[in-house]
Amino acid sequence: MTWQVAFQLALSGASVGSIYAMVALALVIPYKASGVLNFAQGEIVTLGAYTGLVLSLATSLPFVALIPITLIVAALFGIAIERLLIRPILAAPEFTLVIATFAIGLIIRAAIRLYWQDNTFPLEAPFVGPPLSLGPLRLNPAYLVVIATLLVLVGALIVFFRYSKFGKAMRAVALNVTAARLMGIDINSVFASSWALATAIGALTGLLLAPIIGVNPEIGHLILKALVAAVIGGFTSVGGAVVGGLLLGILETFGGAFFGATFKNVIPFGILILLLLVKPHGLFGRAVQQRV
Amino acid sequence: MLLCAAPLGMGNYQSYLAQLMIINVIAALGLNLLTGNCGQISLCHASFMAVGAYTSALLITRLGLSFAIAIPAGTLVSAALGAALGFPARRLSGLYLALVTLGFLELVQIAVEEFPDLSGGVRGLSVPKPEVLGIQIRSDTALYYLALAIAAFAVWTAHNVEKSRFGRAFNAVRQSSYATQALGIPLGRTKLLAFSLAAGFAGLAGGLQAIVVGFIDPTEFGISTSLRQITFIVVGGLGSVPGSVTGALLLTALPEFLRGVQEYSDLLYGGILLAALLFMPQGIAGQLDALWARAGKGELGSPKHSELRP
Repeated sequence: MTWQVAFQLALSGASVGSIYAMVALALVIPYKASGVLNFAQGEIVTLGAYTGLVLSLATSLPFVALIPITLIVAALFGIAIERLLIRPILAAPEFTLVIATFAIGLIIRAAIRLYWQDNTFPLEAPFVGPPLSLGPLRLNPAYLVVIATLLVLVGALIVFFRYSKFGKAMRAVALNVTAARLMGIDINSVFASSWALATAIGALTGLLLAPIIGVNPEIGHLILKALVAAVIGGFTSVGGAVVGGLLLGILETFGGAFFGATFKNVIPFGILILLLLVKPHGLFGRAVQQRV
Repeated sequence: MLLCAAPLGMGNYQSYLAQLMIINVIAALGLNLLTGNCGQISLCHASFMAVGAYTSALLITRLGLSFAIAIPAGTLVSAALGAALGFPARRLSGLYLALVTLGFLELVQIAVEEFPDLSGGVRGLSVPKPEVLGIQIRSDTALYYLALAIAAFAVWTAHNVEKSRFGRAFNAVRQSSYATQALGIPLGRTKLLAFSLAAGFAGLAGGLQAIVVGFIDPTEFGISTSLRQITFIVVGGLGSVPGSVTGALLLTALPEFLRGVQEYSDLLYGGILLAALLFMPQGIAGQLDALWARAGKGELGSPKHSELRP
């Protein structure tokens, strides 16, 4: 194991981990705000990829221009889902919410497969290309873009949550809904916005992934890894989601390098079950009040 | 209380469909005991079908055992694995429980793919038709009656469990884990039993499906199938044996009537599930209960269904 190989693995791991981290963010943010874990988030990622595909086929916009449009479409979609499907059942027991979001995901995936079948479509992007050379290292530009996006996203979120009024409102709602209401915060718009934010992040991830792995309906499968990442970080911690994602990516990559592909597939779920047994609140989470 | 239908004189395909319907009934019964009565979310019910299917199939093909031994064996193995899952699941509920079952689902799928020598990997596994006294049973009618007999046994078992003190313990766990413990009912062991039982039912259904269909398709045991089974019990009525039967029969037959192909199937199930959760969470059994109660008589099932709505 030379430093070169270790660095390559670390970079690859961080890149995969960034994907997990972004989707984990998209899971944790609405969970913190509204207490709902959106199991359809994987399909939101897939939708982001397909939105990019449709846009690039319908118009001849360059990849960079696709980003803001996809974000807006996704945000609107998120608001629609939250308002039409989630809000009516917010007070229902956990079972209903879990299964409902699963059902939404299933519907989205089935609809996509109905129209586009299981084909994989390519999507052009400027950052997919041959590895760059930096001394003895080979840097895959796609990896760098993904990691950079995560960093920018995290930076933007930190600024948003800490310094903007709406960000503080969202934090307040996450802490205590009733108190937030008493402070005059509009809970409904916070819920809707957290979902919009989450779906936008998810769609962005999909859009980024599309040029790298192609556009196909199974992209959403990675939500399972993102869930593990969120568990590692603790569902109540936004920073934890990021750390969890990166950690998982790196563990997976190194584990796969040392112990083979089978181990690599098993690691995330082994970690998941172990953590849920021992420390379900993850590294940074705190026990949340049970809804009785 | 039991819906019994045994139409004779059907075409081969309808007979086959009827067998599938019955198999789904068995699986639904198990899931309903776990989720409807005991209130535990399980997203890996399909995995236990897989365990039952593969175990039975391997015992038949590798060891030459009769299906009469292989299927019960598959059921037991499933139940044992269910207990294994029940162990970490004891302390978890809601979201975290859902995640654990999801993790288990994935692990089983990985196991199937990673041991192709045993499981046939992604290409699936062929299973010969069952033999009785050396004669292969090929006729669909005979298989149908076999399935029916096993399903009748399953319904009888589920009904008795529900009425037994275990069933009452399950309901207690669902309603309040604190009250359950306060009453001296062992919470952990009850949950374990529920998981084990559900897994056993699923394993039985899986083993039966293996010999009825003659082939095990590994893609059949993913999250879609688990959600499908959840749809059966939500639409049929949670916590209700006739609900399980109704939901499974109805929703297995439905896609066939809609001339569509596999692609529409997922969409349909997702839509039905969502609609049921939003508008009719008590399920059919619950609706019938409500009507029955309004008519001033007793209740078909139990008052669990109404808990799903805020």
